[in-house]
Amino acid sequence: MATFRSDASAAVARLFAKTVTPPFRRVLVANRGEIAIRIIRACRELGIEAVAVYSDVDRDAPHVRAADRAENIGPAAAAASYLSIDALLDAARRSDAEAVHPGYGFLSESATFARAVAAAGLVFVGPPPETMQHLGDKLAARRTAADAGVAVTPGLMVAVDEARLVEVDDLGYPLLVKAAAGGGGRGVRRVDDPAGMPEALDSARREATAAFGDGTLYVERLIVGARHVEVQLLGDRHGGLAVLGERECSVQRRHQKLVEEAPAPGLGEEIRERLAADARRIAEAVPFHSAATVEFLLDRDRHHWFLEMNTRLQVEHGVTELVTGVDLVAWQLRVAAGERLPSEVLEAPRRGHAIQVRLYAEDPWEAFRPTTGRIGAWRMADGPGVRVDAGVEADLDLPTEYDPLLAKLMVHATDRPAAVARLRRALDETRIGGVATTLGFHRWLVDQPAFIAGKYDTGLVPDLWVDGPGLSDGEGQTAATAVAGARATGVTPRPPAASSNGARVTPGDRPWARLAREEAIES
Amino acid sequence: MREEAEFLVEGQPTAPDPEWEFAWVDRGRGAATLRRDGERVPVLVEGGPADWVVTLQGRRIAVTVRGHRERLLAESAQLAVPRHGPAEVRATLPGLVVKVAVSPGDLVAEGDALLTVEAMKMENEIRAPRAGQVVSVETEPGQTIVTGALLVRLADPEP
Repeated sequence: MATFRSDASAAVARLFAKTVTPPFRRVLVANRGEIAIRIIRACRELGIEAVAVYSDVDRDAPHVRAADRAENIGPAAAAASYLSIDALLDAARRSDAEAVHPGYGFLSESATFARAVAAAGLVFVGPPPETMQHLGDKLAARRTAADAGVAVTPGLMVAVDEARLVEVDDLGYPLLVKAAAGGGGRGVRRVDDPAGMPEALDSARREATAAFGDGTLYVERLIVGARHVEVQLLGDRHGGLAVLGERECSVQRRHQKLVEEAPAPGLGEEIRERLAADARRIAEAVPFHSAATVEFLLDRDRHHWFLEMNTRLQVEHGVTELVTGVDLVAWQLRVAAGERLPSEVLEAPRRGHAIQVRLYAEDPWEAFRPTTGRIGAWRMADGPGVRVDAGVEADLDLPTEYDPLLAKLMVHATDRPAAVARLRRALDETRIGGVATTLGFHRWLVDQPAFIAGKYDTGLVPDLWVDGPGLSDGEGQTAATAVAGARATGVTPRPPAASSNGARVTPGDRPWARLAREEAIES
Repeated sequence: MREEAEFLVEGQPTAPDPEWEFAWVDRGRGAATLRRDGERVPVLVEGGPADWVVTLQGRRIAVTVRGHRERLLAESAQLAVPRHGPAEVRATLPGLVVKVAVSPGDLVAEGDALLTVEAMKMENEIRAPRAGQVVSVETEPGQTIVTGALLVRLADPEP
């Protein structure tokens, strides 16, 4: 049997070699969780060896097992591992990698990291460092967009420390305090009146300094009832630029996205084209290649404003991949190696509708507070039109040090109503035990008339969800019936994870260790 | 003796509905399905024998099962929960204390922010569970805390 298998794989390898030349021999994936696995999958499809990195608590993490090899980069604290340029470059050297893919978050928007990778003789999979540095500073990005003739949200064009307080008050409340180095909703505070400004500045500065090492803040007017729509860009090193349509990202809590759709529902061709043209204008104003996203706010009068440009892969890139058929991660790797974007990518058609929901370890009924503990059951939806990008699995302890994103559930269908129906079906197939997740919020969402109609804005969570619906008598009775049923079978399922009291299990109590124990008991 | 058992759903007495048919999908992991004419509800059942968590459409619901004896014990324990007098505020999640908003002697109302804890890279406010006067603050900014750590002691305000 072994002979047969190796013959077959050799034949496959020969066939593969005829069609695609791997852009790199070996790539270091400088991230963890679902995005590391996503990049490793792209590497495998391109014939690239993928090298994972892991902190001490991630030694047995799924992304480590998914890779061809793995390098330890230090202790659990991200600052000493996933954010340590020295540790990552050491890992790249040890593993003899040719390129580094940063994923999203961590060092993905660090120009310092991109330059250090290049200085070490490796290829950084991302835009040119000078563009990352320029656009990564949200204030510089605002000035660039304005210079390119794109409308920006009313607000400061300089740091709040350089502005006079009257200038801030003149903008008109409510205002948003934002971190210039920000991202992922961190370092953002809403301020409703001048009295709330000092505390908001202090708190945002603390969070920004902790998250990005830079406490520079600016202020812009809060556009009430706005939609958050963004445009995906993909460019090569030869001036080729693909504008791959927009995504609707208005379902948010704490300025962080929960649900994304492509295309944006009910947008209209005229605005769609204006957004695409503005995104192209900004990309053409700076040296650009690889993947990036231009974010816009769309108000109730259908005006749009530039919000920021993210010079990296987005968490929600998958919905664009589903409707365009373009593998963004694979093309990031290919353009990093110097390939040109072909016309199939530059003029990729759009097909159908895609929706992604983010499954976070957060309790929607407790103001989306992060939950900790151990995942129990982990059954993800599958079947037609379903894609799951997950970074966890059953019986995994959730590290408290990192982002609580567990998985992304995506659906693709011929049109939006079919996609919503498919999403509802997929959510019903999904079961996650042990910890509270955002699954219950998403299941509520797909039955909301505003969501079904595709008519919602960033007010959806604060206005419609608030703290979530109370438990109905019917739901309570179903829960009691389920327990009665379980008791009647005389079988006690495994106890729930220690999420309620936060107790940690010992490192020895790992899935493989338990398996070994169970085997020992059986034999 | 099962007939005597009482089901408390989120603390409310609730009777199971015998119309439903219960079937395991994955017994080891607690995945099951409830069925009745034309209706099908996927559930996840974890825990037991007394304290359970049922996940219904992604929502985690606490279900407690207790017999007659446990019921009496629990009810007497309920009476012992202090609504007044000394109280301890403990950490509900592990993290890093970034800010302490109160000092000994401060009067706080229910829901007032006591301190800010950074966990999962986000700031979370720990609030007063009831009104009272701060007796002591058992932590300080920069300290890493574990779940259950004593943070603040409260007492009735001095008259």
